[in-house]
Amino acid sequence: MAPLGRAALLVAFGCLIYAALAGGYAAARRRRRLALSARNALLAAFGATAVAAAVLVAALLRHDFTFAYVAEHTSAQLPARYRVSALWGGQEGSLLFWLLVLTGYSSIAVLAARRAGQDLLAWVVPILGTIGAFFAFLVVAIASPFHTQTAPPDGLGLTPSLQNPYMLIHPPLLYLGYVGLSIPFAFAMATLLARRGDEMWIVVTRRWTLVAWTFLGVGQLLGAHWAYVEVGWGGYYAWDPVENAALMPWLAATAFLHSVMIQEKRGMLKVWNMLLVVLAFCLAIFGDFLTRSGVINSIHSFAQGKVGPWLLGFICAVTAASLALVFARLPLLRARTRLESLVSREATFLYNNLLLVALCLTILWGVAFPLLSEAVRGQTVTIARPYYDFFLRVFGLPLLLLMGIGPLVAWRRASLRALGNAFLGPALLAVATGVVLIALGAGSSRPGLIAYSFSVFVLASIALEFARGTRARRSLAGGSWPAAFGSLVARNRRRYGGYVVHAAVVLLAIGIAGSSAYQTVRERRLQPGQSMNVAGYTLAFQGTTEGQSSNARELRTHLLLSRGGHTLGSIAPGKNYYPAERSSSNEVAIRHSFLTLEDVYVIADQIDAKSGAVYFKVLVKPLVNLIWLAGAVFVLGSLITLWPDAREERRLAARYRAEGALVRV
Amino acid sequence: MGGKRSPARLVVALSVAGVLAIFLVYTALAGGGTPSLKPSQLAGHTGRVSLVGKVVGSVTGQSHSAAGMRFRVQDIGGKSAVPVVYHGSVPDLFRTGRDVVVDGRLRHGSFVAVPGTLVTKCPSKYTPKG
Repeated sequence: MAPLGRAALLVAFGCLIYAALAGGYAAARRRRRLALSARNALLAAFGATAVAAAVLVAALLRHDFTFAYVAEHTSAQLPARYRVSALWGGQEGSLLFWLLVLTGYSSIAVLAARRAGQDLLAWVVPILGTIGAFFAFLVVAIASPFHTQTAPPDGLGLTPSLQNPYMLIHPPLLYLGYVGLSIPFAFAMATLLARRGDEMWIVVTRRWTLVAWTFLGVGQLLGAHWAYVEVGWGGYYAWDPVENAALMPWLAATAFLHSVMIQEKRGMLKVWNMLLVVLAFCLAIFGDFLTRSGVINSIHSFAQGKVGPWLLGFICAVTAASLALVFARLPLLRARTRLESLVSREATFLYNNLLLVALCLTILWGVAFPLLSEAVRGQTVTIARPYYDFFLRVFGLPLLLLMGIGPLVAWRRASLRALGNAFLGPALLAVATGVVLIALGAGSSRPGLIAYSFSVFVLASIALEFARGTRARRSLAGGSWPAAFGSLVARNRRRYGGYVVHAAVVLLAIGIAGSSAYQTVRERRLQPGQSMNVAGYTLAFQGTTEGQSSNARELRTHLLLSRGGHTLGSIAPGKNYYPAERSSSNEVAIRHSFLTLEDVYVIADQIDAKSGAVYFKVLVKPLVNLIWLAGAVFVLGSLITLWPDAREERRLAARYRAEGALVRV
Repeated sequence: MGGKRSPARLVVALSVAGVLAIFLVYTALAGGGTPSLKPSQLAGHTGRVSLVGKVVGSVTGQSHSAAGMRFRVQDIGGKSAVPVVYHGSVPDLFRTGRDVVVDGRLRHGSFVAVPGTLVTKCPSKYTPKG
């Protein structure tokens, strides 16, 4: 089977090279039939890559340990679902998975975007072909998943802590996000190569950017939830380079999603959008580089290999080529209009963009600084949590506020009087919230207090927008309030879906502020019969029991949780010992309160078998469940904006086709 | 482009200046990051550093007792090692052979860790047993 896999990858590589070279020639010389064959080669590359991936998955499922990759990443006892997840678990497999997603996306993109125009598509094919050829080269020549060996009796297996359902969904979602950013990048560069200055590429790729961005966002939240419930340190995000690797392209894509609206509506920020799409794409590849090169000191250690320098070289080449192209086409990218006032919708979008990019670049600096420091001074330096927390507050809080301001400001030029009227309600509500919170004792954290007040401001302004729109819709079309609301959202999916996403970000902000700024942590050693108090809760330690599962010895401590004299129930944090792997794992106990959205998070750290004493660490995290709720709202909002709206698409496409024709005289 | 200056450019210029100013203030107030060192590089450093290395030998004592937990950390792929005294919570995956990061200071030849800073590197997505 391995030769079939190798052959399929070689075919894919050949097809992609052809798509890149023949496609490029066809686009430059306007050879339609050659361009069509290049496009077909791109489709064929997907087929060949799918065959290669199927061969590897089959080998993983059949325990074919003659494949070195299968033996290194699975074992005979490993359940089938985790054997499949090994496809993206190791270096070689994950690169193959990347190539599979890339060629799959590319095929759908070139087939679905036919209305973009022949000249644009003719250039998209060679660009996607070039990116694909690079990754195909990596799996063919540098890190092949199809190396064979004499089969060992058993494979090396998978660490117990990763035998977890999140392993099945978190990594592939991130890959779907990272790779998805290639599509808007390819269309943007194709626009420049085709010497077009219009917005067609934005119309065609808006959904691609949204899909990639949604996958990245959800993938990160799932990763955070995994860390929270499984890793057992009470947190969900550690500003680790590998976590930041996914956050940076997400931030750049967020900025891009906003600024393209300015280009669509007002024809401004054309160069900026080109630069953002290059930044987002390069950061996605950089994320792959960070996880696969081993150059960064991370708490996540990944399989390291020889692909690091290649990925870095690719990033440099892409950056240089794209910047040169943008520079060469500057005359095409002149703005149709200019910013008329510093108080306007487009100006708030500009501020939002600057803040998002500033946050993204400070995180990039935090990730890259240890590398630079080692290269320049010969000493590695770690940039720790305070650095990131500081910049999250400095750039994140104004961003939060802007989310409330933006929707209330008129396009082009807003009068201060109208602004005052629009802001009065939400602002008063925010100030009142602040006062109430101070009275309740929330003044202990200033950033927390600001975050809460801003959040109320944003939620109020979003609610106001929905209320206004629904009222207008009802007076226009009549009917019931819910019908008017439904029709309002259905007719303006992008706008109101966007507001739903904003609401999700606010929930996220409230959850993060609550669980970090207002959390209570207590540690105490308890003997059976003793109890401890944390933030109004009482935990009475009753004793320890021991159980045995198929592969672990399970110690559980039993605590009775009560609050204000009311018993809330029993919780049982503990530890599992895995003799085969010679490792142990903390099995934390979390009690969710669905009413207050607060968690009591208990870690039984050291269980002393002789004395029966246990060292407990208890974290009370207010509002932390809003973070996970935000994930659901985020998906809902994204789905609303993504839901096809044929009428709007046709209108936009017609408009830009006309403009494109004008520009290309 | 000539003509009236665009306010957009002013905004961009001011924000770039603003970001730089915030950055300067931050680095002046909080200093750079913490140096991250291998055991062999520790000599001569008296300030707070992050120690990175592999746990070798046996682990003795209790991290929540007064005497603390004691273990040795060695250069990854090297020979130099340093004894470490640690208090506070211990991550799940901590044991001999694991790569760890811990903050602290070198005191009289042994590394006194800041309580609660011990971090075990997550094992690779799929790693060998043992």
